[in-house]
Amino acid sequence: MRERRLRGGVNGSSLTRWLFVLPALAVVVCLLIYPLVSTVIYSFTNKTLIRTDFDPVGFENYIRILTDEDFFQAFGNTILWTIGSLLGQIVVGFVGALCLNRIKSRVGKNLFRICAIIPWAFPAIAIAMTWKWMLNGIQGFIPSLLMQLGITDGMVQFLSDPDLVLPTLMMVNIWFGAPLILVNVYAALQTIPQDQYEAAQIDGASGWQSFRHITAPHIRIVVGLLVVLRTVWVFNNFDIIFMMTAGGPAGSSTTMPIYIYNMGWTGRMVGRASAASILLLLFLVLLCILYFSVIRHWEKEEK
Amino acid sequence: MKKIRRLSVSGGFSYLYLTILSICAVFPLLWLLVSAFKSSTEMLANPTVIFPKDWTLENFKTVLFTLNFTVNIKNSLIVALSTTVVATFISALAAYGIVRFFPKLGNVMTKILITTYMFPSIMLVIPYAVVMSTLHLTNTRIGLVLVYMSFSVPYAVWMLVGFFKTVPIGIEEAARIDGANRLQVFYKVVLPLVAPGVVSTAIYVFINAWNEFLYALLLVSSSSKTTISVAVKTLEGADILNWGSMMAASAIVVIPSIIFFCLIQSKIAGGLADGAVK
Repeated sequence: MRERRLRGGVNGSSLTRWLFVLPALAVVVCLLIYPLVSTVIYSFTNKTLIRTDFDPVGFENYIRILTDEDFFQAFGNTILWTIGSLLGQIVVGFVGALCLNRIKSRVGKNLFRICAIIPWAFPAIAIAMTWKWMLNGIQGFIPSLLMQLGITDGMVQFLSDPDLVLPTLMMVNIWFGAPLILVNVYAALQTIPQDQYEAAQIDGASGWQSFRHITAPHIRIVVGLLVVLRTVWVFNNFDIIFMMTAGGPAGSSTTMPIYIYNMGWTGRMVGRASAASILLLLFLVLLCILYFSVIRHWEKEEK
Repeated sequence: MKKIRRLSVSGGFSYLYLTILSICAVFPLLWLLVSAFKSSTEMLANPTVIFPKDWTLENFKTVLFTLNFTVNIKNSLIVALSTTVVATFISALAAYGIVRFFPKLGNVMTKILITTYMFPSIMLVIPYAVVMSTLHLTNTRIGLVLVYMSFSVPYAVWMLVGFFKTVPIGIEEAARIDGANRLQVFYKVVLPLVAPGVVSTAIYVFINAWNEFLYALLLVSSSSKTTISVAVKTLEGADILNWGSMMAASAIVVIPSIIFFCLIQSKIAGGLADGAVK
């Protein structure tokens, strides 16, 4: 038998082995690595969407972008949008997971779970259109309700008031993203051995103490990874903002992806859009390195 | 005694919190659906009344027949189904290959996956547009399916690796001794064992392809080939638009997504947590 396995390992199988992974590798190389490389190259050229020929221009694109006021506004908006959305999602989802964990009845648990994850299943276009309609400044449900209840004097213009637009978008994003945090934190909570809580209770630990010393250390790695994934997603999100406000009014909800879109597609300046993309990606990579060093530190503590 | 009291208090808070959360979560879906069945006069008259007095199918008729959404639904189905079949096939092969032949590659792959997850779609779409116009694939559904591999395959491989890991190697060795070759072992022995996992993965790929917006917007421009998400977005500019039709169109996009999602929700959530722990 041993011989047979050995023979199988040598004869022809090294090729077969590669046949299994080759198509997926091709996808990664052609659809992810190649576009990255060409974006880097474009970022040093004056390429446009119209002409096929282009010349190298050195760092000019980067200099132009780093001296562009709109870029810094977009960058600031992205940071606000990411931090605001993420904090909201984590708080709402985390508390939800702890509550769900307390509920004993199976039926109740499943019912809440199904209800709570509905937003997560919404396609971006449906999120955008439903909320746009609910927030509509003429006949929308929410502004009308606020006015009928006497909370506001007139119809609140959630999406066209420059001061309200970004917080409103964040609320929508919290509505959409909290369920994912809830479900995953809840799944992580199930991995904690219950006897530790019982032991803590016998020792007279308070609810907060057992949370800090048992719950938190057990789930922080999962939560950490979730935060990484959500940060990247929210940071790069194009659909929700583009469809709800397209970055307006007057750039007050323009985030980096919208800025890149305006530059590369509307403005047709591929070179400069590429440079902005690379800057965005570099920032994300740095952020993730930071996150992962924290997570690795936790992992070491566990061992 | 004390313990019981504390638990009941926090239990009450839990019910209250989750009830509010559920209402907030479900309300937009409810509003979307009831708006789709309201007449435009009723919508104008009572913006805060939830249920319509007269349920009407007028909005759905407008969307499907006057605005020809059937074409867009067909396009979305073609693109999403092709993406699902191709991506699941490629990913199942790769996931099995990684688990059986390249176990060390698995760790490297997770890193690559997280790295590629960082690539903004808005960055990738420019090179895609350039390459596709050279290959004459702009404005084709095949082009769109190819591009959709970029986000389907990495995620599907990740999900499937988790499922394939649960297959004991002993079963495969037995089949090999009986004279089956590697490919036969794969599709006759291993694949049936992980079928439920493959189905969930396929559904997940389908939902993502069905929901995709950015690539469909920028890479396909002829109206006979646009997918449903893009068609809903273009409705905004149409003269014919009233919010009732818009909600009817959105309902058509949201319903398949929600049904499929509920079917597989426990699998994808568990997968993320498991993957993260290990």
